[in-house]
Amino acid sequence: MDKLVITASNIVNADDARTARLGTRFGRMDLMSQLALLAVEPFAPQFESIARERIAICLAARTSSLATDAEYWKGRDNTGGPSPTLFTYTLPSAALGEIAIRHRITGPPLCFVGSSEVLLPEAAELLRLREVDAAVCVSVNVVTPTLADWLALPNSASACAALLRTGDVAGRAVGEFDRDLEALCHYLGAQ
Amino acid sequence: MPEPRVTFASFGAITAAGPDVSSLLAALRTNTSGLRANERFNSPRFQSNIVGAALRSSDDNPAYELANTALAEARKNLGALAIAPERIGFVLSTTKANIETLERLSDGRPCSERARRHLQPELLAEDLAFAHGARGPRQTISTACTSGTVALQQGAKLIQRGAADAVYVVGVDHLSAFVVAGFTALKAIDPVGSRPFDRERCGLSPGEAGAAIVLVRGDLAPAGIELIGWGSSNDANHMTGPSRDGSGLALAIRGALRTANLTATDIDYINVHGTGTPYNDAMEAAALRTIFGETCPPVSGQKGMLGHTLGAAGVVESIVCTLALREQFLPGTPRLSNIADGMPSSLVKEPCPTARLRHVLKLSTGFGGVNCALVLRHG
Repeated sequence: MDKLVITASNIVNADDARTARLGTRFGRMDLMSQLALLAVEPFAPQFESIARERIAICLAARTSSLATDAEYWKGRDNTGGPSPTLFTYTLPSAALGEIAIRHRITGPPLCFVGSSEVLLPEAAELLRLREVDAAVCVSVNVVTPTLADWLALPNSASACAALLRTGDVAGRAVGEFDRDLEALCHYLGAQ
Repeated sequence: MPEPRVTFASFGAITAAGPDVSSLLAALRTNTSGLRANERFNSPRFQSNIVGAALRSSDDNPAYELANTALAEARKNLGALAIAPERIGFVLSTTKANIETLERLSDGRPCSERARRHLQPELLAEDLAFAHGARGPRQTISTACTSGTVALQQGAKLIQRGAADAVYVVGVDHLSAFVVAGFTALKAIDPVGSRPFDRERCGLSPGEAGAAIVLVRGDLAPAGIELIGWGSSNDANHMTGPSRDGSGLALAIRGALRTANLTATDIDYINVHGTGTPYNDAMEAAALRTIFGETCPPVSGQKGMLGHTLGAAGVVESIVCTLALREQFLPGTPRLSNIADGMPSSLVKEPCPTARLRHVLKLSTGFGGVNCALVLRHG
C-alpha cells in the first residue's frame, strides 16, 4: 500500500465555536456538531481535488451525544414537548452528517462512541482496501457540568481532526502504531 | 491471499415478536405484527401509544437486559467452537444505550450504579463483552439507524483483516419516553401503527429489541449464511429527511454489490429499511428503481411487525434475512394493505415459500443521511 499521510490537522475548543461565523445553520447546531465542523473547516481546499464519494468521514464521540441529550430532555415539559431540532442532535452521528452536508461528502460514514484510538486504524483500513482516497478523522468530546456531575467526568468541549490520504502527497507519515489522534494533532499543531 | 469468508454462525433476538428467534420465525411465518397499545405511552405527550415492546423485566437497565438476553441465546445456539477469548471481538450497535438512566437522573429518580454506567454506550459494550468472554477488539457503533448494518460490516472487517476469529455483533435500543417524545416532536409517528409502503402510511412505530449475531471466520464454522458484501454512503443532503432521488442509498448498494462481486441480477430478495414514513419509503423505492430498473426482485420489510428498533434494527433485520435464506421463504410486509403508487410492484405482502434464495440485499438508512447495504449469501 502507498504510504499513509496526514495532510492537515486541527484542534478547536468552545471559544472557537463561540466566535465562529459560519452562518445561521451553524448557529442552530449543538456544540458537538459545531466543534466537529470547525475542526474540519481548514481541510475544505483539499476536498476540491478529491471525488466526494471517495472521501470517508470517521468520527469518534467520546461521550456520545449525552450533553445534547441532557439539554434536549430539559424541554420535556415544554408546551409542545421537547425541541425537534435538538432531538436531531441526540445522535453522535449528527456531527458527521453536518460535515457531510457542508462539504458534500458522500463517501462511507463511520461513527464510534468512546475512545478515538479506533479512528486511525479504521481509516487506514478504508484506504488500504481502496474503498476511499481520503478519510476525515474527527474526535470530539463535550462534557457539560450536568454530565460531569452525573458521570463523574471532567468538563470538556473540544475537537481535533486530521485528513488522511495515500499516495504522493505532502504530510506527516502515519505508522502502524499511531493510535492517539489527539496526541498527533497536538504534535502537528506545535510544529 | 484471499480474505477469509465470514459466516453467520448463530444468532439470538428478543423483540416485539417474542423472547427468542423461534418466536420471531413464527411471527414471520404468519406475518403477525407485534405492535400493540402500551399504557406507558398513554399520554398526549406522545403521538401514539402503539409500539413494538419486548417482554422484559428490568425498568432500571433495559438496554443491558435486552442485549444480554439476545447474546446469551446466540451463544447457546453456537455450540462448541474452540476460539480463544482474545480472538473474539465485540461490536455493539446502539443509538441511545441505556437512555432510561438519563430520564431518571433528570427527574431525580433513583437508578443503580450499573444502569448509570450503561448510559455510556462504550461501557455497556465493555460490560457485555466481559460477561460473555469476548476479550478481543471492541467497537461501539452509533451511525443512527444504520448502526446495526454498519456494526456487521465492522465485525466482518475485523475477521477479514485477521484481528479476530469470531465477533459478537450486538444491537440494542429500548423504548423510552425520550425517543418517543422526540419522534412525536418531529410528527414522525403513525398514530395507528406503522404501515410501510402502504398508501395510507404516515410514520413509524417506535420499537425495542436486543439482537445478536455471532460472526465466525469461515473455515472455523460449518457452511451456512455468509456476509459477502457491504457498502455505505452519506446523502450529504438533509439531517432528518432522506434525499428525494435515493442517490445516496443507490451508492451504498453499488458498493455492497462491488465488494460481493455480484451484479444487480444476482440478488434474489431485498429486505428494506421501510420505516413507514412517506419520504423514507419513497426514497428507497427510487433507489431500487435506479439499481434494478423495472425488474426489481421481491422486496419486504418488517417494521410493521417489530417497530423501528433503531440501533438494533440492522442486526435483527439481518437475522430475518438469515432465517429467510435458511428456511427458503420470502418474509412478508406486516400491516401493508394497499401498495402506494411508485413503490416496487415486487413488494411481498404475505410470506411465501420460494424455490431458490441465494443472495439477499439488506438496506438501512438513517438521520444525518447515512445509508448502508449488506449482501448475504446462502453458502
